[in-house]
Amino acid sequence: MNSATWSLQWRLATTRKRVFILNVMVPLTLVLPVATGAVPPVAAAGVYVVLFAAFAVFGSALPLRVDGQRGMCARVVRAGVSPSSYLLQRAAAGAALDTIQLTPALLLAAFAAGAAPTQILAAVVTLAGTVWVWGVIGIVIAAASRSITETALFAGVTVPLLAHMSGVFRTSAPETRSALLEGVSPLRALHEDLLEMIIAVPSAGGVALLIWAILLPLLVWLLGPRLVAALDRQTRGGLEGA
Amino acid sequence: MPEGTRIPGAIRASGLTYRYSAGLPALNGIDLEIGVGEVVAIVGREGSGKSTLLRMLAGLVPPASGSLELPVKRTSAGRLMIGFAGEVEPHFESMTGRQNAMFFARAAGLRRSEAAASVDEHINQLGLAEDADRPVSEYSFAARRRLLLVEALAHRPALTVLDNPFLGLDQPARSALIHILRVQSAKRGTVVVASGELTLLPEVADRILFLHEGRIVTGGRVAELLHTLGQSTRIEIAFERRPSRLDAQFRPGITVVSDGDPMVLESSRGQAAVGEACAALNAVGAVIKSVTVRESDLAEVFRRVTGAELAS
Repeated sequence: MNSATWSLQWRLATTRKRVFILNVMVPLTLVLPVATGAVPPVAAAGVYVVLFAAFAVFGSALPLRVDGQRGMCARVVRAGVSPSSYLLQRAAAGAALDTIQLTPALLLAAFAAGAAPTQILAAVVTLAGTVWVWGVIGIVIAAASRSITETALFAGVTVPLLAHMSGVFRTSAPETRSALLEGVSPLRALHEDLLEMIIAVPSAGGVALLIWAILLPLLVWLLGPRLVAALDRQTRGGLEGA
Repeated sequence: MPEGTRIPGAIRASGLTYRYSAGLPALNGIDLEIGVGEVVAIVGREGSGKSTLLRMLAGLVPPASGSLELPVKRTSAGRLMIGFAGEVEPHFESMTGRQNAMFFARAAGLRRSEAAASVDEHINQLGLAEDADRPVSEYSFAARRRLLLVEALAHRPALTVLDNPFLGLDQPARSALIHILRVQSAKRGTVVVASGELTLLPEVADRILFLHEGRIVTGGRVAELLHTLGQSTRIEIAFERRPSRLDAQFRPGITVVSDGDPMVLESSRGQAAVGEACAALNAVGAVIKSVTVRESDLAEVFRRVTGAELAS
């Protein structure tokens, strides 16, 4: 396995400088009024979590669906890249880029809340883990959908749904089923780290995130050929009449 | 390429079939064997199954039934052994042609320096040097076609499968491609192309297979195929008015193949016999509407075998 796909994703990102700058500026612009306004800390953390997760999942799923539809995924795999490696290298490069592009927005939120350096560092690390997990979720969403509209719809539904299950929008009573669900949710860690950064509430969601960060990629690794075949579904119709 | 250097069995296929999702047959029992280092051209009309067969031979589409033995796809060192270029393939549009070609060469297992040298060489050979460092989004159709060929050839595959490779190429690029394919063949690289460029095929192909309605209807070396026509020119004469009894006397060298309308004659004296045949028919009261002369070429071989014109 070589790192051609990883390098490619970086090259694509750095070639499209305007898109890169927009990807830094848009989250900053969205975070600015929340960070500097009189927004309750719990609501602010909720906004950041949804923003960061949406950024990662849309950024992963939509371009992948587009590449699948125009036959690029199939072509890359045909060129000798293993499907699993292609998808995961793509997700890894995407997560690294997302972290770079979202960190300014996170720093803005942190400075506005007067967070300590250790809290900021913890939040950045958790952000990297979270966008990695959501990038991988984005792969699954892209493969499960049959059009770009469907991809956007599925991604748009998944983020608030999992945010809700993570306890972003409510606080569950202890030892209930929803509290248990919150404990294993992939967004829990980021939400708690952000709360810790803003109002110094102790964070304890890292283990669940770590498990998701290992399990989901493993699943994608195992299902890689099937996922790429699903992404290529519409292109294969193009063989008709050949 | 000399017969002695061939090892049979680079590709061996028996009874290959494929059906489109609507159930229509695309390939209908293909048997073929292509030797190592052989250059084979597949010729057929639009929709005859050429592209499907090529994709199958490149290992991209599994047959619905039949057996297919292909060369190993990847070496133990991770080198991709098959190079494929379809008629149209997507690229990374915001990247330059060179960056695209480098990606595919690296993905095929070439080291960075090796990939850079080979990509550079193929870009120069195929006349893409001027465009190589521009984004692909700015490319013309012809430049995209050249880039596709660079991407398919740069890793020097053991099996190269090219769909309509001469499409969009100017004469120097066509000559360069023929040269590259012949060099590959000399180095024991097997090449399969589908092309309708019948004038170029004798220069590049060791063997030609005619595909019609999903079957290989005939095949062989160009000389063998042309030999099946004899040294004759076929003359088809359609009539404005045709006497009920047409007993024209033709001189030796002209034989009647079919006495209908059109009347089909065969001449061993080439086009020189056309005027003479028309005169003989006029002399017995026939009024000629049109005359079609068919030289002994590959299109004529196809027409005689299938009864259909090659260009649909």
